[in-house]
Amino acid sequence: MNPLSAIWNFLYRSFHRLGSPREFYKISTYATPIFGLLFLGLCLVGSYLGLFVAPADYQQGESYRIIFVHVPAAWLSLFVYVVMAIAGAIGLIWRMKMAFVVAICSAPIGAAFTALALVTGSLWGAPIWGTWWEWDARLTSELILLFIYFGVMALYYAFEERKTAERAMAMLSVVGIVIVPIIHYSVEWWSSLHQGATVFRDGGPAMPASMLTPLLLMALGYTFFYGYVLFLRARNMVLHNERKSKWVKEMFTENL
Amino acid sequence: MNNTFILFYRREWQLMFRNTSTLVQPLCFFVIIALLFPFSLPAENELLRRIGGGVIWVSAVLATLLSLESMFKADFQDGALEQWLTHPRSLAVAMMGKAFAHWSATGLLLTLFSPVLCLTFRIPTEQIWVLFLGLLLGTPSLSLIGAIGAALTVTLHRGGVLLAIIILPLYIPILIFGAGMITQSAQGADIAGQVYALLAMLMLSITLAPFAIAGALRATIE
Amino acid sequence: MPDQPASLIAEGLECIRGERTLFSNLSLALREQQCLHVVGANGSGKTSLLRIISGLNRADQGEILWHNETIVNNPRFFKESTQIGHKDGIKNELTAAENLAFYQQLEGVDDESLVDQYLAQMGILRCADLTANRLSFGQRRRLAFARLLQPIYKLWILDEPFTGIDVDGRQLIENVCLDHLNNGGMIVLTNHQDLQRSLLGGHLVELQL
Repeated sequence: MNPLSAIWNFLYRSFHRLGSPREFYKISTYATPIFGLLFLGLCLVGSYLGLFVAPADYQQGESYRIIFVHVPAAWLSLFVYVVMAIAGAIGLIWRMKMAFVVAICSAPIGAAFTALALVTGSLWGAPIWGTWWEWDARLTSELILLFIYFGVMALYYAFEERKTAERAMAMLSVVGIVIVPIIHYSVEWWSSLHQGATVFRDGGPAMPASMLTPLLLMALGYTFFYGYVLFLRARNMVLHNERKSKWVKEMFTENL
Repeated sequence: MNNTFILFYRREWQLMFRNTSTLVQPLCFFVIIALLFPFSLPAENELLRRIGGGVIWVSAVLATLLSLESMFKADFQDGALEQWLTHPRSLAVAMMGKAFAHWSATGLLLTLFSPVLCLTFRIPTEQIWVLFLGLLLGTPSLSLIGAIGAALTVTLHRGGVLLAIIILPLYIPILIFGAGMITQSAQGADIAGQVYALLAMLMLSITLAPFAIAGALRATIE
Repeated sequence: MPDQPASLIAEGLECIRGERTLFSNLSLALREQQCLHVVGANGSGKTSLLRIISGLNRADQGEILWHNETIVNNPRFFKESTQIGHKDGIKNELTAAENLAFYQQLEGVDDESLVDQYLAQMGILRCADLTANRLSFGQRRRLAFARLLQPIYKLWILDEPFTGIDVDGRQLIENVCLDHLNNGGMIVLTNHQDLQRSLLGGHLVELQL
């Protein structure tokens, strides 16, 4: 067997194993603490480097350090959406239970990252721009993203029958993934019509490594934090969804 | 008469002529919303002229949204949707026919009426045509994208507010380019970019939205 | 024709609605000229089973075959089967004739004389030009059945076809069903009363849920 097809077979098998709620629960028992530890380690190191080691900005002084919270949150707000939409599409196409669970559990996490990016952006804007809110392209499209997250969650909770709710929510997140980039570019175009580029600028000033390293560490830490919280939420939801099944019952009677 | 699109388009018109309120209500709503703005703003002609285009666009979006809720409601309640779902004819094409019929009864009607509203806002003639063109290119996308939301919420008893929450954010690009056309032309700038953007979004809606509508119906009716 | 292979086969069906498992490991086979009577108490999953057989819902487990091919995305099955549920798919704003004509056009047939013929067969020709909201419940039911008379349908899936109609109407519908079966058709239906002594008695297969 050539190595390529061996890799393919391995991926295919693990995909199917993860697709079963029971297997997911088993695997995630080990994966969850690993993700938690990675998140903790990366964010501690990143925060230390960002807050104490990195030099102050020559224009913005110390206040720029909010970047180490703000930028990773903004990145994750989009990353989580992409994960949610892909999981939703997988669930719709292959009728895979776990994919829906991942999609639904991602939505509130993504919304939280979006809200965090907006709040930290606003806090940052107050001293630098002298205003809490600016109709800037990035701010505006982030705000719209928050509303799309709200819509996806509201749709899920509007249905009584879980299976219907899962499919409807997945459908909306897939539609959103087509429209989100369009919204982003249209808002950018709209904003540039009204005002010139402000603080944010495409291909802006290159960042020294002492600032870039903590930023990337924080971003990676945030990603593991997302994985960690996603696992926690998904494990809860799997137990709730499968509470009638034999393996859940057995697991809990054994522990009694 | 073997064309699914024409079959469903014709049927919608037949139903709308029997129930003319579906034709009249969105238009009335459109006019009333637009006319609320002058009452809530300082009575300055210059201000009205500047905001008129945007106001008319927002009114068109809201009027479309209002009429969306009932788009699939009756077909769901009397079981017609279930007949189409278990029929070999393409559900996507059928729903495209339905969405275009919806557009003819709301978006197209609003577009045809918009020049009259423009006069009340004292918008100059050349910009009236710009607004007309923008609405003509933008409102079909409103109907097509909105139909996805209508399909997703058709089984819910109180789907109206939810429909607005999930659909309005998706309308923003169309609103930006549609209303942007008027601002641009008022400054004497070229509007070709916005026309192309609206056309591109229309093409995208025509090709993808019918499948999303069909998928949404299959997802929620089951 | 007992040696004839079954056209409709279901294997190991399972249906879960919310908390409850309505049925599991349910199998059935239906041949031409047979009428499957699904029997069960309220809430036992009769309607769910019919929706699964008609292709509206998917079973949580198991599959359904039509001439040895799965019914999922199977145009042949959707062409040859039709269903009437609690909701009849009739538009209040349209006349009886217009309603029927649309369902004919949906099948690619545009023939006004056939519309009249089907309406006459169901005994509602005099209501042809009344809008459906002016029809009585029984007349509406007959109009819904007039749609089934199109010869393209082999399998009828009927959810409680005999509720709310008078003795004459019931007799008529039983006769229509009998003709369909004798012409090689198949029926899956639910009904609260026993059907053994009805006209369909000779064709019945019972399925207890």
